[in-house]
Amino acid sequence: MRNKRLLNLLKTIAVLAIVVWSLFPIFFIVVSSFKAGHDIFAVPTKWFFEPTVQHYQKLVSAWPVFFSSLWNSTVITAGATALAVIASTTAGYVYSRYNSRLLNASIVYLIGVRLIPPIVVTLPLFPIVNWLGINDTHFVLIVLYATFFVSLGTVLMRTFIDQIPRELDEAAAIDGASRMTILRKVIVPLATPGIIAVAVFVIVFAWNEFLFAFIFTSTNAKTAPLVVSEMIGSIDGVDWGVLFAASTVQLLPVLLFVVFMNRYLVAGLTAGATKG
Amino acid sequence: MAELGDTMKARTLWGVIPLLAPVQLLLLSVIIIPSIYVIWLSFHVSSFGQSATFVGWDNYIRVITDPAFHSALINTVIIVVVAVHLELLVALGVALLFNSGLKFRRLLLVAVLAPYAVSEVIAVAMWRFLFDMDVGPVTQALQALGLPILEWGYDPMHAMIMIALLTIWMHLPFTFIILYAARLALPSDLYEAARIDGATAWQSFRRITIPLMGPAILVALLFRYIFAFRLFSEVWLMTQGGPARSTEVVAVYLYQEAFSYNAFGTAAATAWIMVIVSLLLASGYIYLLRRQVNANAK
Repeated sequence: MRNKRLLNLLKTIAVLAIVVWSLFPIFFIVVSSFKAGHDIFAVPTKWFFEPTVQHYQKLVSAWPVFFSSLWNSTVITAGATALAVIASTTAGYVYSRYNSRLLNASIVYLIGVRLIPPIVVTLPLFPIVNWLGINDTHFVLIVLYATFFVSLGTVLMRTFIDQIPRELDEAAAIDGASRMTILRKVIVPLATPGIIAVAVFVIVFAWNEFLFAFIFTSTNAKTAPLVVSEMIGSIDGVDWGVLFAASTVQLLPVLLFVVFMNRYLVAGLTAGATKG
Repeated sequence: MAELGDTMKARTLWGVIPLLAPVQLLLLSVIIIPSIYVIWLSFHVSSFGQSATFVGWDNYIRVITDPAFHSALINTVIIVVVAVHLELLVALGVALLFNSGLKFRRLLLVAVLAPYAVSEVIAVAMWRFLFDMDVGPVTQALQALGLPILEWGYDPMHAMIMIALLTIWMHLPFTFIILYAARLALPSDLYEAARIDGATAWQSFRRITIPLMGPAILVALLFRYIFAFRLFSEVWLMTQGGPARSTEVVAVYLYQEAFSYNAFGTAAATAWIMVIVSLLLASGYIYLLRRQVNANAK
């Protein structure tokens, strides 16, 4: 009996530790964004303080570029998600329903492509993108973000579409439905959980990505993480209050999104790791 | 029915090309062709605005004999070996904890997943403040406990510890989910049978949990090796590889060669060294996966 109590106590401590580890940094940055300047730097750390929105006001007045970067991030995330979802769904459908040696062989290549580190392709793409004059546009990041998820996306969609009985598309085909109609009216509605799982991956990735944004954008298409990184690297010292406020604004939407979509994220992660 | 099947087969590839084209075009134009071009680049010397000259293996030799590359490689290996294995142990512990029956399990699961939503940039901002050497709350807590603080601003070793902690924080959700899903998939009657046979908790862990979770552990490990090997943003944002290139990792070395020193040839050679190491890691993965498939078939 005492043993069991002790075990339960240890378990509670372990649960607390993992929750603090996961949530404390997020909690701290959000809470600190409402602290006045001198409260942020108080030693020992202040846990009770007069909340203020002064950093948010300063963010609005001194960093208009942050808000245009949020807009860029939104456009790029939406574009990359649409492109990746459409491309992965149509390809996943073919991989699920059609059989040929070429197709089976190309699955290996779909998986193999994921092994190439993203930084590798920046070397040739940087001069090419400059030469084409599409440097610093939404288009470049949309294409890059979508591309780095279509291989995983296709494999995921194949797994999800495999679970839809073939008899359904065959019945529709006998009724005279074309391939596109089958895809739109039969496959897409039934494969929605898969589509959402792919979309969750791309949305989180595109909203947060740093490397490609850092290399391929400079002013017009700058994304929010890039502007936040400039706040961190500011030469005349970091304005922590504004940095916390900007981080909170960038973080909260995607955090809430992950919280609400956690089921799809878990399904995608497990299917992606075991099947792809 | 047979007729329909036949006509579907006959029209197969031609008819579905439009459906496959977007994925194949994206992969070819953004990843495959550029990567092949990087091979060509790695055998030439060039910088912006100059025509390239063929130099054979020169770039590779130059990279492999460069002390800065050695230190970058060692740092990368330290991160891969220390951080990834530590992360795996923690993830395994948390997965088993979740499996042992917790109250509010879904809520706790979401809490553990939360760092997945956080950008590397924001995570670095958090870490830099939490461990700030003057006012950081973690630094204060360490001091209050009489523990040494992380002087990551000038001690490269401490900076590496910070980066390792940060990567564990960012990737624990991934590793945890893989292991937790694998643990949930184990049949409970096995444990029942072991209990009836008088096995202790430790024995069932050693003899049932670990062997049966083996494949999932390997999958999680290999994914994390491959992703830790391309680590860039966390290091770049935390230290920019400094002080004096002491905290560079391979991807940061590559970036510096290409975009700071304009040495695209050696950068390309570094890039292909990265690809080859990833391929080697993955071939281990495929080999183990095959063995797993064969074992399942038996």
